[in-house]
Amino acid sequence: MAGTGVSGPLAVDTRSIPEMVLAAAEAALADAQTDFGNIDAVVTASVDLHDGLTASNIAVTEVVGAVMKPETRIAGDGLAAAAHAACQIWAGAYGTVLVVAHGKASMADQDSVEQWAWDPITIQPLGVGFTVAAGLQARAVMGEGDPEAALSRWATVASRRWQAVGVGSRPEDVLASPVTAAPLRALMAAPAADAAYAVVLTGEPQRRGPVLKGVGYDLDTHAPGDRDLASWAGLGRAFARACRVAGSDTGAAFDIVEASCRYPHEEELVAAAVPALADSDVAPSGGLYRGVAPVAAGLGRLVDTVDALRSGPPARALAHGTWGPAGQAHAVAILESAP
Amino acid sequence: MNQQPAAQLATQITLDITWHYSATEAMSRFLAGLRERRIEALRCDGCGRRYLPPRPFCGRCCLRMHNWVPVADMGTIEAWTVVHVPVLDSRTGAPRPLPYGMALIRLDGADTTLNHYLDETDPAELCIGARVRAVWRDEVVGAMDDISHFEVLR
Amino acid sequence: MRAVAVVGTGQTRHASRRDDVSQPELVHEAVCAALADAAMTPADVDAVLIGNMELFEGRALPELWVGAGALASGVCDTVLVVGFGKHSEGHTQTGMALTDPFWDRSVASGAVGNFALSVSQYVSERGVTEEQAARVAVKARRNAARNPHAHLQRADLTVEEVLASRVLAHPLHLLDMCPQSDGAAAVVIAAGEIARRHNPRPAWVKATATRHDQCYIGDLDKRLLRMPTLRDAAASAYRQAGIDDPLRDLDVAEIYEPCTYAELAWYEALGFCPDGEAGRLVDSATTEMEGELPVNPSGGVLSTNPVGASGVIRVAEAALQIHGRGGARQVPDVQMALATGYGVYAWADVIVLGDTP
Repeated sequence: MAGTGVSGPLAVDTRSIPEMVLAAAEAALADAQTDFGNIDAVVTASVDLHDGLTASNIAVTEVVGAVMKPETRIAGDGLAAAAHAACQIWAGAYGTVLVVAHGKASMADQDSVEQWAWDPITIQPLGVGFTVAAGLQARAVMGEGDPEAALSRWATVASRRWQAVGVGSRPEDVLASPVTAAPLRALMAAPAADAAYAVVLTGEPQRRGPVLKGVGYDLDTHAPGDRDLASWAGLGRAFARACRVAGSDTGAAFDIVEASCRYPHEEELVAAAVPALADSDVAPSGGLYRGVAPVAAGLGRLVDTVDALRSGPPARALAHGTWGPAGQAHAVAILESAP
Repeated sequence: MNQQPAAQLATQITLDITWHYSATEAMSRFLAGLRERRIEALRCDGCGRRYLPPRPFCGRCCLRMHNWVPVADMGTIEAWTVVHVPVLDSRTGAPRPLPYGMALIRLDGADTTLNHYLDETDPAELCIGARVRAVWRDEVVGAMDDISHFEVLR
Repeated sequence: MRAVAVVGTGQTRHASRRDDVSQPELVHEAVCAALADAAMTPADVDAVLIGNMELFEGRALPELWVGAGALASGVCDTVLVVGFGKHSEGHTQTGMALTDPFWDRSVASGAVGNFALSVSQYVSERGVTEEQAARVAVKARRNAARNPHAHLQRADLTVEEVLASRVLAHPLHLLDMCPQSDGAAAVVIAAGEIARRHNPRPAWVKATATRHDQCYIGDLDKRLLRMPTLRDAAASAYRQAGIDDPLRDLDVAEIYEPCTYAELAWYEALGFCPDGEAGRLVDSATTEMEGELPVNPSGGVLSTNPVGASGVIRVAEAALQIHGRGGARQVPDVQMALATGYGVYAWADVIVLGDTP
C-alpha cells in the first residue's frame, strides 16, 4: 500500500464527481510520493444508476490519469476494486495500480435507486429499498431474544460510533429517534454521504506502507427469503478466502479492524461470521458513521486501516466492505505493517 | 417436453429517478458565459490544446487547467451526417423532427470539436470544411442548447 | 505469470426478443453451455466475472442477483466470465441518452448519429465506397448463416439489398449497423494443468491489452480513422504474442465492429493492411471465410449484439476456433486467433489466443 487519498465524506458535496475523484487521486499520489506517470493501470468502482450516467467510468477516465492506459471498472464496492487491483499485481500484469471509488448519495433518492437492484417480478412491485432489507435483517438478528435488550444494546453501539465521529447522540436519543424500518431507528443508521477514495497499490517494496497480504470476496443469494438473514455467511466465506490468499490462520486475531457496518446489528453479524473478530472493536475510527458513500465506503475502510497501521506499532489489520441489500456482498482485505 | 408452455408473465415498470448533477467549476463558468452568448475554452499549459467542454484536468498531460481563452461562435464542420432515426429533444421530451443535420464543429479558437445540430438536411449541400455560425435562442438560460443550431454559411 | 487458457465457451440463442427467459435464465443458458463445454460443474469454478450495461437492461447491480463473486488470475485457478444483454427489457435509447448532462445530452444524435459523424471523416479521407462497406455487411450476415447462435442470418444477402435498405444516418444504411439483441455468452478460463485436463486444445492467452481515451466525442480528432486506443492496444498485444505481421501470423480474427465502416477502419488499426487499403482488402476477399485471414466467421457484432455480451462473444468465438469446435464456421487449422473489444471510441481491448502456452 503505497498511498491513500480521501475526498469527503460530506453530507452534500457540491462539487462534480470528476472533481471529487481528482482530489482523492491527487492526494493518494502525493501520499505515495509518485505521479500519474508511474501508474500502469487504474481500477475504478462506480454504478451507472447511482451516477445517472451510462458507462459511468468514462466520466472519470481523464481525472484518474487513465488516458491511453488500461482501466477496469468494478460495479461494486471500492474494496472489491482494490482486491481486483491486487490480483492484477500478483498476476504480474502491472507494477503499480491506482484504485479509485466514488459515491454521491446526494445525487438521488437512494431507496429509488436501490429498488432497481431487486427482481422485477417478485420484489420491485413491493417498492422496498435496502433500508427495509436492513430492518428485516435486524429483526432476524433479534430472533427470539428480548427485543428491549437488543434495542438498548444497539443504541449504545450507535451512540459510541456517533461519539467517535464527534456527534453527541446519546443512547436515549438513538432510541427516541423515529422508526425507519422496525426495529431500526433513524439514529441507528450511519448517514449517507458523498465521498471519493483512492489508494495506490504497488508491487515495489515500500518502506512506510503496510503490506496487503490477502483479499477475498463473496456474494450471498439475492432474494432475502432465500438466505439466512440472521447471518453474514458471505463475509465468513470472503474472510476464509482472504486468509487462504494471505496464508494465515482463520483463527488468528487482528489488532486493527475497520468493518463496514451501517447499523449496530451488523457489528453482531460481523462477530458471528468471523470468530477471530469477536473481541475486536470493528470500527475504532467511528467507521461508516462519518458517512456512507455508495460503493465507495469499503475503500474508505481500507484507507483508515492503512492510516492506523502507519501510525501505530507493528500490527495485523482487516478492512471490510459490503454492498447490496442486507450485506449480500462482502469484500475483505488483510494487511500487515511494513516489515 | 412436447407440452406447449403456458403464457409467460411479463411486467412493466417505469424508472423514476431524479438525479441532481453538479457541474464542474469549469463547466459552471462556461455555462454562465452562455447566458451572455459568450463561449470560452480552457487551455492546457502542457499540450496547448484548447478544450471544449472545459474541464478541470487535461487527461493527455495529467495537468490541471486554469487558462481561459475566448472562442468564437463560428467554426468549421469537421464531420457531418443527416439523421433519420428519432432522438428525444431534451427540452420538450418529444422526438425531434426528422431528418435533422448534425455535425462535429471546430469553433474558431478551440481545438476539440462540439456536436450540434445544423439547419441543412440535404447531404449534397454538406461537406467537411464548410463554415457554420451559431444561431442563438432568444431566451438563453446557460445550457448547451441556448444555441438552437448552427447555420451553414455559403 | 501463469499460463491460462480458455477451455470452454457457451452462448445462448441470440434474438431481438427472448421473451421465453428472464435475465437470470438467459445467463444460466450460457453458463450451462460453457461449463458443459469445459466438462466442469459450478463447484470447479473459483470465481466469476460478469458484465453488462445496466441501463440497457433496466436493472442495477447485476452481479448481485446473478450471484457471483469475482477475482482475477493469480489467486484463482478457474474463472468463469459472463456477459449478457437483454435490450428488449430495458430502454437502450434512454441509456444512450445518459451522457454528460451539461455538454452533449441536449444535442445528442444517438449511437447511429455518432457513428455516422466519424464515418463521414473516414470516407472523406480514405475514399472507401458504399459498396465496399456493403460487402462487409454481406460477409457478416452470410457467415452468421453458418452460426446457429447468430441473431441475423442471411446467406443470400446482396450488396444491392444493403444499399437499398433505408438510410438511418447518412451514409449509414440499416444493414450497415449492428442490431440490438437479447443474449448471453460465457467462457471458462483455467490455469496450467487444469486447462490441459479440461480441453485437448486449450486456447492459451498469449496477450491482453486495454487502452482508454478521453471521453467526449469531440476530444478525439478523426476517431474512426485514428483510433489510437485500438492501435496502441494491438501494438502491445502483438509485441507480447510475438506477432510481426498480423495478416500472416493470425489465422482468424473476431473483431468488435459496431458498423460496416468500423470493420474497414479496424483492418487498418489492427495492421491487416496499410492505412487506406481497407477497401481493397475487402474487395480482394482476404477477410472472407476462404481468404487469408477470415474476419468474424461468427457474423460479428453486425449479426449479433447483446451489448454487454458482445465482447465476451468475440473471445468465445476466437477460442472456439482454436478448440476446433467451430462447426460450420470453423476455419481450418487455427493456431493464432485475435479478439477485440470496444466501447464508444473511449476504449479498446485486444486479446491474442494461441494453441500453445
